[in-house]
Amino acid sequence: MGITQILFWILAITAIFSALMVVISKNPVYSVLWLIVTFFTISGHYILLNAQFLAVVNIIVYAGAIMVLFLFVIMLMNLNKETEPQKSKWLKLAGAVAGGCLLLVLVAGLRHTEKQMTEMVTGDIGLIQNLGKVLFKDYVVPFEISSILFLSAMVGAVVLGKKEPRIPVETEMRKVEETQQAINI
Amino acid sequence: MNALIFSAVSGVIMMFSSFLLNNKNSVRVLAHVLLLATIIANIFELRGISFFHIDTRGMLEFDRFALLFTLVANVCTFAFFLLSSRDLEKIGNHYSDYFSLLFFILAGIVVSSSFKSLLMLFLGIEILSIPLYILTGSDKRNLKSNEASLKYFLMGSFSTGLMLMGIALIYGATGTFQTGITVAEKVPVLLITGMMLLLFSMSFKVSAAPFHFWTPDVYDGAPTVVTSFMATVVKAAGFIAFMRLFAEEFGSIRPEWKLLVGIVAAVTLFIGNITAVFQQSVKRMLAYSSISQAGFMMLAIYSLSNDAKEGLILYAAAYSLATIGIFAVLVRMKDYTFEGFNGFAKQQPFLAGILVVFLLSLAGIPLTAGFLSKFYMLKATIDGGSLALAIFAVLMAAVSVYYYFRLIQSMYFKTGNATISGTTTGFKYTLAALAGITILLGIFPNLLTNWLYF
Repeated sequence: MGITQILFWILAITAIFSALMVVISKNPVYSVLWLIVTFFTISGHYILLNAQFLAVVNIIVYAGAIMVLFLFVIMLMNLNKETEPQKSKWLKLAGAVAGGCLLLVLVAGLRHTEKQMTEMVTGDIGLIQNLGKVLFKDYVVPFEISSILFLSAMVGAVVLGKKEPRIPVETEMRKVEETQQAINI
Repeated sequence: MNALIFSAVSGVIMMFSSFLLNNKNSVRVLAHVLLLATIIANIFELRGISFFHIDTRGMLEFDRFALLFTLVANVCTFAFFLLSSRDLEKIGNHYSDYFSLLFFILAGIVVSSSFKSLLMLFLGIEILSIPLYILTGSDKRNLKSNEASLKYFLMGSFSTGLMLMGIALIYGATGTFQTGITVAEKVPVLLITGMMLLLFSMSFKVSAAPFHFWTPDVYDGAPTVVTSFMATVVKAAGFIAFMRLFAEEFGSIRPEWKLLVGIVAAVTLFIGNITAVFQQSVKRMLAYSSISQAGFMMLAIYSLSNDAKEGLILYAAAYSLATIGIFAVLVRMKDYTFEGFNGFAKQQPFLAGILVVFLLSLAGIPLTAGFLSKFYMLKATIDGGSLALAIFAVLMAAVSVYYYFRLIQSMYFKTGNATISGTTTGFKYTLAALAGITILLGIFPNLLTNWLYF
C-alpha cells in the first residue's frame, strides 16, 4: 500500500464520518463546522487527483465564503433547541423510509460496478493552465451562456432586494386584506 | 443561434431601459418590438439563414424541431405580451426588469430546446428556472407570493441537485457530456442510476406526478400574470428538453425506462384530473389542469415517434394559447372562484364565447387544436404498443371535461354578477385572434407541423 492509498483511505473515512456528523449533530453550528471538515477532506481528494486549482477553489469558495454565510444565517436566526420545530413521528418515519429507499436503490445499483482505483499520479488536466485552455477553447460557449444565468440572477437580486417606495394606502389595505383572507383559507 | 442572441440582447436592453425610459408605455412598446425582432430572426433561421456563425463544438444543434418549438414559444410569449403586459405593471415597480427576466427565460428556452450536451441542458434549465423563482416572488407585499417563491426555490434547487448528480454519474459511465451514447449489450449501472436521477429532476421541472406537489401552491401563490407564463411556455419548454434528452441520450436504452415513463404518465393523468375536480378556485383548477395536460405530454416521451414529435409541438401550441387566453381573462376578474364567473355570459357575451373555445380546446373537443394534439398523442401511444395506456388517457380526458364544463356552466347557466375590469377593444380582438388560431390549428394542423419538414 503506497502513501497515496493510505492518504486516500484516511481522507475517505474522515469524509464519510464528518458528512454523517453534519446530519447527526443536534446543534446547527456544529453541523456547519463538520461541513467545513467535509469540504477540506474533499479538497484533499482533489489534490490526490492532481487537481490543485479545484482544491484551492473548493476551499476558498465553499469553506470560505459559503460557510461564513451559513454561520451568519444560523446566528441571525438564533437557532437553538427551544426554537427547533417539533416534527411529528410519522413525518420522521416517512423521511426515513424515503431516504432508505433511495439508499437501497443507489447501493443496489452501484454494487456491481467494476472495482477500479483511479489514481492520477501523472495526469495534469487539473492544473490551472490546462483548465484555462479547456475552459476558453472547448467550453467557451457554455462559459458565455452562463453569463446570461448570472445576469438574470443579478436582475433578480435587484428586483427582490430594492426597497419599494410607499404605495398608496388603499392598495396596501387591499393587499393586507387579501393576505389575511389567504391565511384564513 | 439567432433567437438565442436576440433574446439575450433584448434582455440586456430591457434592463437598461428601466432608467433610460421613464415612461411605462414606451417600455412596453420596446418589449413588443424586441420580441417581434426575435421572432423574425428565428423565422429567418428556420428558413436557413443564420446571422451568426459560431462554432459551438457540437454542444448546441439548431435542428428544425428546436427552431420550430422556439418559434412556438416566442409567438405564445408575444400573445402573452399583447394580452397581459399591462397587468405586469400592477405587480410592482420594476416593470422593465420583469420584461428583461422574461427575455432571459426565452434565451433559456432556446438553449434547453437545442442542447446536444448535458452541460447545456443544465445551463438551459437553470436559465429557465432562476428568473421564474424571482418572478414568482415579485409581488413582495403578498405573503402568499413570498411563500410560493421560497417553496419553489428550495424544491427547485433540490431537483437541480439531483440533475447534477445524474449528469455526474452519466459522465462517469460514458466519459462525455455529449448526448447520443451508444452502449454495448450490457448497460452500465452508473448510466441507469444517472438516467433515473435525470428522470426525477425533469419530472419535477414539468410537474409530473409524483413530483408535482409544488405546482398548485406555486401557481396559486404567484402573481396571476406570472402563473400564466409559467404554466404554459415554460412548462412546454421543459417537455421539449425532456423529450430531447430521452430521445437522444437515452434512446438506445429505451427498454430500461419505457415502463417507468408510462407509469409516471398514468399517475400524472390520474392525480391531475381527479384533484382538479374538487377545486373551488379557477386559478387552482388551472394549476391542476396543467398537471393533467402534463400527463398527456408525457405520452409523447413514452412513445418517441415522429407522430409524437409533431404532436408535442402541436400540443405545446394548443395548450399554451388556450391557457394564456383563459388566464388573461382571469387576471381581470375580481373573484377567482367558480362563483365569481356566475352570469359572466350575460355581461360579456363576446368574451364568454371566446373562453368557451379555449375551454373546449383544453378539454379536447373536435374542431379545436386541443382535440388534434390529444389525437396525435394517443395515436403515437397506440403505435408505441400500449393500448391500455391510451384507453386510460381517454378516460381521464373524459374526467377533465367535467371541470372545464363547470366553468362554462357557471358562465351561462347561473345568475350572478361577475365583475371584470379593464377590457379594451384591442384586448378583445387579440383574444378573438387567439381563438381563431386555436380553431384554425384544429382544422389544419399541417400549417404548424409542416414547418418541421419544409
